[in-house]
Amino acid sequence: MNALGLLLPELILLVGALLVFLLDVAYDTDRESGASYGLVSGLFLVVAFLAAFFQMSLEPQQAFMMDIDAFAAFIKMTVFAGMALVALAGGRYMNRRTYNQGEFWTFFLIVSLAMSILAGANNLVLIYITIELLSITSYMLAAFFRDELRSAEAGMKYFLYGSVASAVMLYGLSFIYGAVGSLDLREVAGFFVQPDLTEELRVAMIPATLLALAGFAFKASLAPFYQWAPDTYEGSPTPVTTYLSTASKAAAFAVMARFFVVGLSALDVEWVPILAGLSILTMTMGNLAALRQNNVKRLLAYSSVAHAGYILMGLVAVAANAASGMDGLNGVLLYLFAYLFTNVGAFVSLMAVEETTGSVEMEAFQGLIHRAPWLAGMFTLFLLSLAGIPATGGFLGKFFVFGAAVQHQYYWLVAIALVNAGIAAFYYLRIIRTMYFGSQEDAGSRLELPLGMQATLLICTLATLWIGLYPPQVLDWVNTASQQILTAVLF
Amino acid sequence: MPTLPVPTFTQVVFVLIAAFTVISGLGVVVARNLFHSALLLAATFFGVAGLYVMLEAEFLAVTQILIYVGAVATLITFAIMLTRGAMHGETNPLNRQWGKAALFAFLFLVGLLGYLGGIPWPAPFQAIQADEGLIARLGEQLVTRYMVSLEVMGLLLMVALVGAILLARDDKP
Amino acid sequence: MESIVLVVMLFWPLLAALVVLLFGGSDRAVKTSSILMSLVPLALSVYLLWGYDFEAGGIQFQVRAEWIPQINASFRLGVDGLSIPLVFLTALLSTLSLYYSAGVIRHRVKEYFFLFHLLEMSMLGVFVALDYVLFYIFWEISLVPMYFLIGIWGSDNRDYAAVKFFIYTLVGSVAMLLAILAIFFATGTFDILDAAAAQPFSQQLTIASLVFWGLFLGFAFKVPSFPFHTWLPDAHTEAPTAGSVILAGVLLKLGAYGLLRIMLPTLPHAAVFWAPWLVALGAIAIVYGAFVCVAQSDLKRLIAYSSVSHMGYVVLGIGAAAAVMTPEALADLANVFSLSPEALQDSAAMAINGATLQMFNHGIITGALFFLVGILYERAHTRDLFRFGGLSARTPYYYGLMMVAAFASLGLPGLAGFWAEFFTFRGAFAIVPAWAAFGTLGIIITAVYFLYRIIQNVFLGEYDPAKIEHWTTVDGQPAEGPTDVVGFEKLTLWPLVAAMLLIGIYPTPLVEYFNQSALELLNFVSTLS
Repeated sequence: MNALGLLLPELILLVGALLVFLLDVAYDTDRESGASYGLVSGLFLVVAFLAAFFQMSLEPQQAFMMDIDAFAAFIKMTVFAGMALVALAGGRYMNRRTYNQGEFWTFFLIVSLAMSILAGANNLVLIYITIELLSITSYMLAAFFRDELRSAEAGMKYFLYGSVASAVMLYGLSFIYGAVGSLDLREVAGFFVQPDLTEELRVAMIPATLLALAGFAFKASLAPFYQWAPDTYEGSPTPVTTYLSTASKAAAFAVMARFFVVGLSALDVEWVPILAGLSILTMTMGNLAALRQNNVKRLLAYSSVAHAGYILMGLVAVAANAASGMDGLNGVLLYLFAYLFTNVGAFVSLMAVEETTGSVEMEAFQGLIHRAPWLAGMFTLFLLSLAGIPATGGFLGKFFVFGAAVQHQYYWLVAIALVNAGIAAFYYLRIIRTMYFGSQEDAGSRLELPLGMQATLLICTLATLWIGLYPPQVLDWVNTASQQILTAVLF
Repeated sequence: MPTLPVPTFTQVVFVLIAAFTVISGLGVVVARNLFHSALLLAATFFGVAGLYVMLEAEFLAVTQILIYVGAVATLITFAIMLTRGAMHGETNPLNRQWGKAALFAFLFLVGLLGYLGGIPWPAPFQAIQADEGLIARLGEQLVTRYMVSLEVMGLLLMVALVGAILLARDDKP
Repeated sequence: MESIVLVVMLFWPLLAALVVLLFGGSDRAVKTSSILMSLVPLALSVYLLWGYDFEAGGIQFQVRAEWIPQINASFRLGVDGLSIPLVFLTALLSTLSLYYSAGVIRHRVKEYFFLFHLLEMSMLGVFVALDYVLFYIFWEISLVPMYFLIGIWGSDNRDYAAVKFFIYTLVGSVAMLLAILAIFFATGTFDILDAAAAQPFSQQLTIASLVFWGLFLGFAFKVPSFPFHTWLPDAHTEAPTAGSVILAGVLLKLGAYGLLRIMLPTLPHAAVFWAPWLVALGAIAIVYGAFVCVAQSDLKRLIAYSSVSHMGYVVLGIGAAAAVMTPEALADLANVFSLSPEALQDSAAMAINGATLQMFNHGIITGALFFLVGILYERAHTRDLFRFGGLSARTPYYYGLMMVAAFASLGLPGLAGFWAEFFTFRGAFAIVPAWAAFGTLGIIITAVYFLYRIIQNVFLGEYDPAKIEHWTTVDGQPAEGPTDVVGFEKLTLWPLVAAMLLIGIYPTPLVEYFNQSALELLNFVSTLS
């Protein structure tokens, strides 16, 4: 296959981004054009999704410092699915709130492109630049409603945290380069397994790794680098929040998986306890903070921090040759995939309420079952999935991640995760309670949802149930993807 | 009593350039006038170019001066001069937290210095032979192996440019 | 035909739920179609009772299909002597609850019946699933409709009770999930029977104990075994009548079923080691629950605590049987009591039979009691025991029904409750005499609270019209005073009362099913090395 053909998903997105940009230049700015730009973006994302799906079955190979393998392809599928759903649901939302439709959707496709490259990048320099592209575009998108104080604050906070985090990460990466003499992850891995590696140098690389971790942890909103997340998630336009908490996280975990599992596999004795500690800290802090929220958008923001903690559990419990098919890396991928549909669904439900009532406070959800029964029902499903109740995708993700940790006998980690699951159920139930337990009289008028949102919600619902009830197909993808990463590991 | 090592000429020059770079970098952050910050930024770029020269990367040094000092810094200066109020406005770059921040930064620096001093860096890598073909090879690498990185950089610049205009312009259609 | 029965029975309620959701026009149509559709699982469960082949024994009506091959989880259903009566109990109580609810539920009817069908599916699923993943999925799904039933149609403090119910049982279930995962990694399969046959952790008592307690936590929260019972009084008291019936009648049995189906056969060594704890928890629950009942002034709360006490018999019986789950333990204990191992094994079978019979009877009896409390509450709108009195003359029919249910519950010979208590104590006395003796204390106190608290306070004495001002009829029309039970209420209760009498006089047919599975369990563990 032609080398450029390997970049097919990225090329599609690039063409899409430039097309939307040029369309916007060519035509008069029209407030109503946003929805059609959103649809065009969604269309390109769907085509890119198909291209990524096609890449799943390719032999693993490398091109332009990127791995073209099933792992990258699976992450791309996850990311594109999420972005396409956001585009489908968010067109009208953005229409009503801003004039700069062309720029928004151009940036939106560029963000997707950045995440796509990040999924496959195997070279530290490319990882760094792509994270920067992802971050800088995201800053713009977070602050897109520049006349709204909250949105401006969201962008500003994100920017300040982000620039410090990426500076620290770059610093750490440069130390790794100083020791290894290469930026290629495979060469880094090879360096650490060579027999004449001195113990001092090995130990000296741990702080460098920690510095690099700061950048990844920032993107994945792990403790202690998550403080930007609630403010940014709350203030950003809801479509932006949606992808920041799902697709962006998937890309961050993909690059972390490659960095730690492939690049630093020989140092796992050192980084496993660190990541385990971060996992505990992240889920606990996220859940405790979410308990106190009265703004549903902010509550979901904290909950998505907590979920990053659960996903990290899977990364802690990676094993090269898990006999059971229930490995940590499988868990991470499955969790990301299931979490994506669930959380996109949850945020789109929120967006629907925001569209019709203008508020995302808990009161806006009062008696939702009477005003929009289907919306309330689907939102309930997403919340139950987030809480990890079976028959949903969220359960299967937790099942695998917890399973991997049990298999590695990290009982303390699992025990803490267990307590956290209990705490989390409490605040998800609060939303459900608000939607259902009120009386019919004081509910208010019925809500009418735009078609795009209805379609998105339906897709998310079906996907959540599909993953939860009949997952063999998804598990096949996940297994192929994680096997390709694990065979690249030099133990 | 151990005798202090006599610094070589190169070391003296390095310390001087490094100090110049760090001090002007600090100046960028603490200057009260935006215009002064811009000028100090240009000075920082010069200092970095000097470090490249000392690393025998002349091409990089020249590029650095051409692009960063010649283009980027100039552009910033123009932007500031053309923006109303930015020329004369005085800002206070310090807030209430600066003491804590400075303390934390200092501790971080001390920690890093201790850490860096302790690393047994491996023997230096093979020096790159500077010859006629070096720049050509560099260019070739940029459009083959580093193609995606280069493209990503291009996109990054485009996003930054468009985004900056978007966030800064104050008219509504 | 054989193989499809369980699939149809399991998913029929789901179909009913969807029908209600998508085609439910008027409230009346929803109610009628719900009741009619719920007859199908009931009929199929009778078919199971009738069709079970005692000669062959073991698991019958099996269904096995590939489901998630990557983790060796399959879609495997099957029933044996233990689960068939419980399936029947579930279907029976579901139909009766739906029928009763049709008479008293007036708002948000569609949602109510939708959730009730889902609840029925999840309960049936737990009893017929033979795969851990499947089992766990149904186990957890049962939480959700129940949460809504309590939270939407419950009484004043419903919000608190619903959340408490959900969180407590969720934490227990997640602990169980971890134990299930540990069993999976030890045996490589999620099949419940295969995993038991593989005997995980039989040589590692420490890990086995951890897994044992993980499972026990999940089951004990559901049973609920003392001291994990604190959610129960709130949930039972606040739930709508039919919710309480299902909660007490079926959901509590899920936990006890798990103990017998999963815990004893899979981890017999740990069970032997921890059996004294189970026995102690069971005996304490019997006495403690009974004492708390005496102190209650809320009628429904009293019945709720009586469930804690009565489920204590179940835990006591299972705990006693657990003490002889390995051949070595059986031989040791036989030495201590200078009995033959066979005699001791008989006692163990007796204890299990008592426990399982108690599960079934408690479902019938407490179900009836909750219906009765609901009937009174619909009229008086209070559950305060001290505001009633002298109802025996004004509502004789109601009085009669209540007497039968109360006497059955306190274990009067000739009614259903007697046999369960008799078997349990007969079995437990031979194995754990001291705790069994302690437990019998509960029988006496039970008599006290039923006779003194309920019969005396509510039915005897003088009727004082000033105590309750606004009596209504069951339809919500104002009434002068208490009105007796009406047609649909009678029809709801008669099957339950008939079952109490029938089992009380001739328990053999029912015991045969339970005995079959008890003997199979004891046979299974006696072959272990």
